[in-house]
Amino acid sequence: MKSLWLCALSLTAHEIGTTRVVAIIGEQYKIEVTTDAASLDEKLAQFGSFEDAYPRRMKIFFDGEAAQLAIARTGDVIVMTGAVPPGTKTFSLKNGWNFSTYALTVNGVTDWVDGGELSKPYSLEARAKSDVVRQYLWLGFTHIVPLGLDHVLFVLGLYLLSGKWRSVLWQVSAFTLAHTITLALSISGIIAVRAEIVEPLIAVSIAYVAVENILHKELKAWRIALVFGFGLLHGMGFAGVLQELGLPRGEYLTALLSFNIGVEFGQLAVVAGAFALVGWRWSEREWYRPRIVVPASVAIACIAVYWTVERVLA
Amino acid sequence: MVAAPPYNDSMKAFLLLAALPRAAHDLWIEPTTFFPALGQVVGAKLRVGQDLLGDPLPRSTPLINELIAVDSASRRALIGREGADPAGIARIDNAGLTIIGYHSKPSVAELPAEKFNAYLKEEGLRVPPATKSPVKDSFLRCAKTLIQSGAGGADRALGFPLELVAEKNPCALTGDLPVRLTYQGKPLAGALVVAFNKRNPDEKQSLRSDAQGRVQFRVDGAGMWLVKAVHIVPAGADWTSYWASLTFERKTAK
Repeated sequence: MKSLWLCALSLTAHEIGTTRVVAIIGEQYKIEVTTDAASLDEKLAQFGSFEDAYPRRMKIFFDGEAAQLAIARTGDVIVMTGAVPPGTKTFSLKNGWNFSTYALTVNGVTDWVDGGELSKPYSLEARAKSDVVRQYLWLGFTHIVPLGLDHVLFVLGLYLLSGKWRSVLWQVSAFTLAHTITLALSISGIIAVRAEIVEPLIAVSIAYVAVENILHKELKAWRIALVFGFGLLHGMGFAGVLQELGLPRGEYLTALLSFNIGVEFGQLAVVAGAFALVGWRWSEREWYRPRIVVPASVAIACIAVYWTVERVLA
Repeated sequence: MVAAPPYNDSMKAFLLLAALPRAAHDLWIEPTTFFPALGQVVGAKLRVGQDLLGDPLPRSTPLINELIAVDSASRRALIGREGADPAGIARIDNAGLTIIGYHSKPSVAELPAEKFNAYLKEEGLRVPPATKSPVKDSFLRCAKTLIQSGAGGADRALGFPLELVAEKNPCALTGDLPVRLTYQGKPLAGALVVAFNKRNPDEKQSLRSDAQGRVQFRVDGAGMWLVKAVHIVPAGADWTSYWASLTFERKTAK
C-alpha cells in the first residue's frame, strides 16, 4: 500500500532508488533516512567512518543555514534529530549519499528529489486552517478511495451482510467510533503496535467479515462488537499512514480530525457506491443473497486470505 | 608495470570527495556473482552512481524495455518481482559466457543549461553547449554484464541502440582488451570510451573510438571493471542520450 501511494506521485518513468527520507519538522526535527545498508557501507568504505563522513554529505538547512546534526544509525535506518531554531521559515535538505532519485517527505508533503541535489525550500510557517483542513480531508478520503483497497473491501463486507440500512448504519458507526479511538491514541503516542502485527490482522478482519456474510444473514449484537474490535485495528493502520505523512505543527488536531472525517467520507462513498450499484434495486430480491452477497463475499474472503499470507511473509 | 599513483590515501579520499557529485550518473549491472557454477541462479543488480559506487535501482516495469540473459544457445527475459533488488534473476544454463543486458525505455531529465553543459563536458560529448534552460534530455540505458561459467565464450551484440562489445573474453585475457562501440548497429567513431577498475576508480582510461568504433584498454587489475560510453543526438529542440556500459570481473591481476 505504501508503494502504491508512492507510485501515484510519479508521473513519468524515473530511475527511482530505494531510499526514502522522512522529515518531521516542528520545534524539534526528526529526519529518518531509510536506505540500502550494503550500498551505504560500500560508499563509507571510500569516504570514511559513518560519524565522520555521513554529516558531510547529508546537509540540512534552516533558512539556508546548515544545521549541526545529531545522527544515529541502525542498519538501514539513519535518524537525525535536533532543535529547530525559533522563528525558522524554511527547511531544505541535500542528500549527497544517493545518486538515484529518492522520495523526500517533509511534514506530509512528498517530492522526488535527485540524489546530490538541494531540495526545494519547504515553508515551516503556520498554514491557514482551511488549507490544512482541505489537504487532510483529501488525504483521508484518498486513503480509502482509491488507495485503500483493503479498507474498501472491509466496508463492502459490512455492507453486504444485510440489505437493511439499520445493519449498515450500526456497523459503520461501530467501526468509525473504534478507528477514531485508536487513531487518536496511536497518533498521540499512547499506544504503539507494530505495522507487522496490525497489517496482517487487518487482512484477517476482512476475511472474517466476508466469511461471516456467507454464514449469516442477520445482524447480531456480537457482530457489532466484533466490527468494533476490527475498527480498533484499522485505526492503528490509519495511524501508521498518518504518521508517515506527518502532521503540521500548530494544526495538529485540525489535521487529525480532518483526516478522520476524510476517511469517513471515503467509507460513505464506498457504501453509497455499493448501494447505487446493487442494493438500491435488488436487495429485496430473492436472488440477492445467492447471486450477489455470497459470490462477492467469497471473492473478498479469497483476496483477504491472500493478503494475510502476503503480509505475514513480508 | 604501472607506477603507483602519485598521491597518498588521504589525498585519494579528497579527490573522491571533490569528484562528487557529477552532473549525470552511470548505470551498470552488478551480478550477484561473475563466476557462477553451471545451473546456479544469478541475480542482476542494477546500480546507478559513479565510480562503481551506486544505489540500487529496483525492478521497475515502466522503465524496462529489455532485461535479458543471452548465452550461446538462448536469449530469454530475466524473471523478477516488481520493486525487487536484484531487478531480475536468471539460471546459468550453458557453460561459457552469459551476457545479461538491460535496455531501458527513455527517462526524461530537465536540466539547467549549466548542468547539461557540465555533463556534455564530463562525458566528452562534442555537441554545441546549450544556451537556454531548461534542456530536455531523454536518456536511455544500454547496460551489459559478462558472466563466466566454466571457461571460454565470447561477448556479442545484443542489438541495443548504443552498445559496447568486448571483442575478446576479458575474464581470461592476457593482452589488451579491444572493445567496439556501435550505435544503431554501426561503428561509432570519435566517441569517448572510459574504462576503470572499481578498486582504483581514479585511474580512468579515456580513449576516443577509431573509425571502426574500436578502443583498446589495458585491463590488468583484478576486480570489477566498468567500460562506459555516452552518445547524444538531437531530437527536435531536445536531446536523446544513450548510456552504454559493460561490466566484468577479473579474478586475478595479469
